[in-house]
Amino acid sequence: MRPQREYHIVVLGAAQFVQNVWIESYDPTIEDSYRKQIEVDGRQCILEILDTAGTEQFTAMRELYMKQGQGFLLVFSITSMSSLNELSELREQIIRIKDDENVPIVIVGNKSDLEEDRAVPRARAFALSQSWGNAPYYETSARRRANVNEVFIDLCRQIIRKDLQGNSKAPEAPARKWESQPRLDRKKDKRRQTKRKGPCVIL
Amino acid sequence: MVSDHCVRLNPSRIAENYQTIGFEYSQKNMLPMRPHIAPLKIEKGNSNFHPRRYYSSTTPQELTPPMTPFNTTGDYNMERTETPRAVFHNYLRAFYPFQPTGNMSPSTVTLPLDQGDIILVHSVHTNGWADGTLLDTGARGWLPTNYCEAYDELPMRPLLKALTDFWDIIQGGCGFPLREFCNQDNVKGLIAGVRFLLEKSECLTRDSVLVRRHDTLRRNRKALLADLSSLVRTTKKCQDMTPNQSVEDEVYMMDEMLLKAFRIVTRGVGFLDVWNEGVGLSRMIAELEQQSGQYDVPPTPASDTFDMGSEADTERNPSRLMNRSRLDMSRASTRTDMIDSQPPQPVSVSTKRVSHRVSYSAPPAACRNPNLASERLNATYDAFLGVLGSFIGLHLQSRPSTELVTTTEQAVRSCRGLLTTVEAVCEHDPQGSGPLEQARDVMYEQLSELVHAARDAFRPANSTEDELIFMPDEGKRLVDAATDCVRAAGKCLAKARCVLEQSGDFELDMELPQEIAERPDVNSTPVPNHISDSAEDQNQAQDISIRLPPPPLQIPNVSQHQYPPSTPVTPGLTDDTTPSSLNSRTELANSAVTPNTDSFLPPNSGLPTSVDKLSFASSPHDVHTGEATHRTSHTKSEAGESFGRGVISTGSSFTYSNLRDSEMSGVSQTSTRATSPDIGNHYQLPSLKGSVSHSTLAEENEETEANILEKTFAHELVFKDGQIMGGSLRALVEKLTAHQSTPDAMFVSTFYLTFRLFATPMDFAEALVDRFNYIGDTPHAAGPVRLRVYNVFKGWLESHWRHDCDNQSLEFILNFANTALMYHLPTAGKRMVELAEKVSMVHGPVVPRLVSSMGKTNTATALYVHPDTPLPPPILAKKETNLLKNWKNGDASITILDFDPMELARQFTIKESRIFCAILPEELLATEWMKKTGSLAVNVRAMSTLSTDLAHLVADSILQLEEPKKRAAIIKHWVKIANKCLELNNYDSLMAIICSLNSSMISRLKRTWEVVSQKTKATLEYLREIVDVSRNYAVLRQRLQNHVPPCLPFVGTYLTDLTFVDHGNPPLRSLPTEEGDMAVINLDKHMKTAKIISELQRFQIPYRLTEVPELQTWMQNELVRVRSNGEKSLQTFYRRSLVLEPREAPRPSLQTETSSSSSILENAKDKFDFLSWTHPSKAKSVATNG
Repeated sequence: MRPQREYHIVVLGAAQFVQNVWIESYDPTIEDSYRKQIEVDGRQCILEILDTAGTEQFTAMRELYMKQGQGFLLVFSITSMSSLNELSELREQIIRIKDDENVPIVIVGNKSDLEEDRAVPRARAFALSQSWGNAPYYETSARRRANVNEVFIDLCRQIIRKDLQGNSKAPEAPARKWESQPRLDRKKDKRRQTKRKGPCVIL
Repeated sequence: MVSDHCVRLNPSRIAENYQTIGFEYSQKNMLPMRPHIAPLKIEKGNSNFHPRRYYSSTTPQELTPPMTPFNTTGDYNMERTETPRAVFHNYLRAFYPFQPTGNMSPSTVTLPLDQGDIILVHSVHTNGWADGTLLDTGARGWLPTNYCEAYDELPMRPLLKALTDFWDIIQGGCGFPLREFCNQDNVKGLIAGVRFLLEKSECLTRDSVLVRRHDTLRRNRKALLADLSSLVRTTKKCQDMTPNQSVEDEVYMMDEMLLKAFRIVTRGVGFLDVWNEGVGLSRMIAELEQQSGQYDVPPTPASDTFDMGSEADTERNPSRLMNRSRLDMSRASTRTDMIDSQPPQPVSVSTKRVSHRVSYSAPPAACRNPNLASERLNATYDAFLGVLGSFIGLHLQSRPSTELVTTTEQAVRSCRGLLTTVEAVCEHDPQGSGPLEQARDVMYEQLSELVHAARDAFRPANSTEDELIFMPDEGKRLVDAATDCVRAAGKCLAKARCVLEQSGDFELDMELPQEIAERPDVNSTPVPNHISDSAEDQNQAQDISIRLPPPPLQIPNVSQHQYPPSTPVTPGLTDDTTPSSLNSRTELANSAVTPNTDSFLPPNSGLPTSVDKLSFASSPHDVHTGEATHRTSHTKSEAGESFGRGVISTGSSFTYSNLRDSEMSGVSQTSTRATSPDIGNHYQLPSLKGSVSHSTLAEENEETEANILEKTFAHELVFKDGQIMGGSLRALVEKLTAHQSTPDAMFVSTFYLTFRLFATPMDFAEALVDRFNYIGDTPHAAGPVRLRVYNVFKGWLESHWRHDCDNQSLEFILNFANTALMYHLPTAGKRMVELAEKVSMVHGPVVPRLVSSMGKTNTATALYVHPDTPLPPPILAKKETNLLKNWKNGDASITILDFDPMELARQFTIKESRIFCAILPEELLATEWMKKTGSLAVNVRAMSTLSTDLAHLVADSILQLEEPKKRAAIIKHWVKIANKCLELNNYDSLMAIICSLNSSMISRLKRTWEVVSQKTKATLEYLREIVDVSRNYAVLRQRLQNHVPPCLPFVGTYLTDLTFVDHGNPPLRSLPTEEGDMAVINLDKHMKTAKIISELQRFQIPYRLTEVPELQTWMQNELVRVRSNGEKSLQTFYRRSLVLEPREAPRPSLQTETSSSSSILENAKDKFDFLSWTHPSKAKSVATNG
């Protein structure tokens, strides 16, 4: 049997994306509070999640977090346009630190349960997603646990794909070929994404 | 959908429509009536039924419930239309006895039901069988819901809910949640429930009119309270239990407490029944009489049912109908229909208990042998008590009553029956029965006294019942006689059982009391196998509407036959076993005919007399011969028991639980109940009822009563695993000022710290004052509680006062101190006034928070340093001091290299510690520090600023140097400083420094790192591991966990945790109550918050280090300088890093990539002003990282 894969995921952006099941009793010292096991395309993956909520003002810390991560959730609140705008800077920093333009990233519009307070039109978020090379965009409600798992699965899938690329990366030329592949893929992803978004909004 | 089945409502409707039902029954009859005798398809996993742990170990969910107990779908449908929205009821009450029949497979866990039994329902299967626990016995199994109806009396609701909670704790808890059980608050819910019940019934105090007027009520009330106090005692005992007590003990304790809780509820139900009947019903009747004024029938429901049963009684038809309508009314409103069931619990307990001893020794079939002496004994005794209970009850209603005559007759008959059995026992074992004979003789005497009293009480009248005159003066004598009778009977029974135990049970060769079977309604017992034709179905339907099968004797009959009622002693006494059989008019006629006024006690023989036979002969007992044995066996007992119960409730259960001395509960008893060994298992439990009498007798104390009835809002608390998870403000305040125990320090801290998040200071102050006032109702607790209220105020004013928001309540508090507090506790009042005045003048806390605030108790773990111990001298040579002086004058520039790393680390630590210690707890609440504007969290903000500045200072000091070697020297110095920070336990500075050294702008300086020594790199690696963010800072958290101050933890982890707790937990949680869900404060959230804050506060202790002001000035200057770069500083640093050590040749592939896509890269280019910054080696490390 294949060993379980373990990936590091960093949650950045508007805090309040308490993504795990720890809502009833969050004990930061127990493993469950930051580890999550998910199944991605039949593969068991363990995610170690670093959520930096509450420490946004420690700007010097960000790099530390970012170095840790293989995949990133950039979270904004659909009720705050400024929270969306902050993401670009974060992405730039990630790309700079990771030295990689194709870092696995998922854009998360959180608080979808507060539809009535929505300040970020969905089109706006899509536009951002497109400008980021079609980074997947999800709307979630951490409070209602809506779409939360999907976000992680998508991100994990990206990391796995990247991993495979990295392994098969030998000469330069093929690498390029490989690189063009995922974009198409991602577009497909995106399309699937859009379909999936229907229910996500309802939730 | 499931719940449909357990709602059997609207009996009145059923009564009205019984014809219809009957029709449907007959239709249905074409289908075989297998329903509830179908065996359960369960594994014979009865080893699960460990008698001690049956609640949790049984998993009836796995069991297939028996097939539908509903006899007719029509019936069912009808009900469904009547109750459009079915609700799941937690409690059911049997309105009809149910006995699992012999056809059941031995593995069936089907519980027998007594009329009036209360059942806690766990689930209801779609076929109508419910998985429930019988409160009487604590036994769990399947029960037919169509024998039950929802029990949801308003006054009982809180009590029932408390019991459900109580149960849920065991069910929910895995392992042995003894801890939770010991929690007084669980008990408090029950207390509050009882209180509510008593309040609703206007019987809260012993002096209330109702209690004084109704003896029965008083006794029931007392018994209820005694049980309650018994539970409280057990709980206390449990608390004292050492933790290393064996598991078995714990389980035993739990069981005991649960059983006690069950008993309280059963008691409560009994109390309410008595109340309904004694008070509620008479009130209603008073109303009715006002309307119609034509009631001549005494209003006891027992008599109602009797009347209703006598279908043939045409003369009385009008009144019967009236009765029925009245009954219906009472159902609709007070549900008095329940009354017919109550308390003779001690009786049935004892019965059940032994029952299985019997069933153990004999095959299941045998234990239903009604001829067993023990069975007969029980049945007759039950019947006798039942009759006497109603006898006494009737009298207590102090109404001249034809029923009294009837019951007197019944009493004598049933007593006679008991004596007959006793005689048989005596004969069976002549040697051992000496005491029994004595007891029997006493009973004879008492019985004759009763008869005489009864005769004297009623002057014989010639014709109609109307002419019967009750002599009130005789009433007392009558009751006394009856009471004596009961006592004597109790002794007699005890002795008889003793004898039976010694000599063994035996079969009486007495003739079966066949009359039971003759009762027209026997066939209608919803045991389906009795139903054979539509006529019987009619009966059955009718019976359902009537509920109580056996109509009793009718006085008019007696008078018709010209036999004065003063001769209640009629022959045909052997039908004692089933007082219900008295219903038969023919039989009555027979017996009445027999002149047997004086020697109603056959001197030697309790065996059936010819008279008995006579009465039998006159009855059509051949009707059912086929199934006689089987049927009579259980019908008899059921009828006997239920009848007894029904009747006794009009009297006083207390009477005989009182009279039945403890001797009895210890004695083995027999039962008619057990049908299989499996079921028998349940009864091995310590009998509920057996011990009732003890507890009932135990507490007579008025003070105890007041104590346990303390007004409480504990039912408004939410618990989980023994921890308070939430509650209403008043309930929490109550908890805060509990008198029994010192409030938990953490709880108090939480309150002070967080109450402003869930209540205004005014609300809090008012709740405290309310508490101060209402505890006055509970004298014994008033003192301590009031003192606690004062202490809470004092602590608030002294150390937790927040001038910005608390001042609004100051006047109110001052007023309270001057009035109520001054009145009750003058000294405290005076002090509080002083304190309040002080608070109004001072601006900071009166007592510095640093000393007194929460979490400080933990600091006891800090190393004690004597105050006179000199501070460590600064490591500052003359040279450095001069340098600083020169720098101050602007003459020299200095770098960190000029100072000893230790000293720098110290100064950073001093600087940071000062801010850290200044953090107020309120800064950490509700993510205050995240507020974009107007944040109060100045110190938290200062911490993050300082941390960022320090990181930038590190980067700046490195990046300002051109030569890699010099940069390496600075790096080395910083690593040393960081290491010293670790020595000083200054994790915050450590984090900032490592962060910066690790940042991409520094770590990418390849040429610089090449000249950094291996030793330095190793140290850095070591430090890096400590502040590693992976596994949620597991290493760092681990280190901090048991850290001894002084220490400067990294604040970020606390902030993250606080954020999660704040955003991840709702402010309110819902508490299900009888009036729907109630939103209460989610205290758990605040507790968690407080816990994190207290962790942080634990470290708010200043370092003992010498400050070097000059150095501090320089440092501050440096920090401000780097900060002036503002938000751009990171980019500036990065750019400088690129300038210092430009990128190595970029990968061609990536270049194309960049140019072809990504607007971001364009942005980046603009911002960072470089072309290619990709780093092949880096990219690889990223891909394989982790």
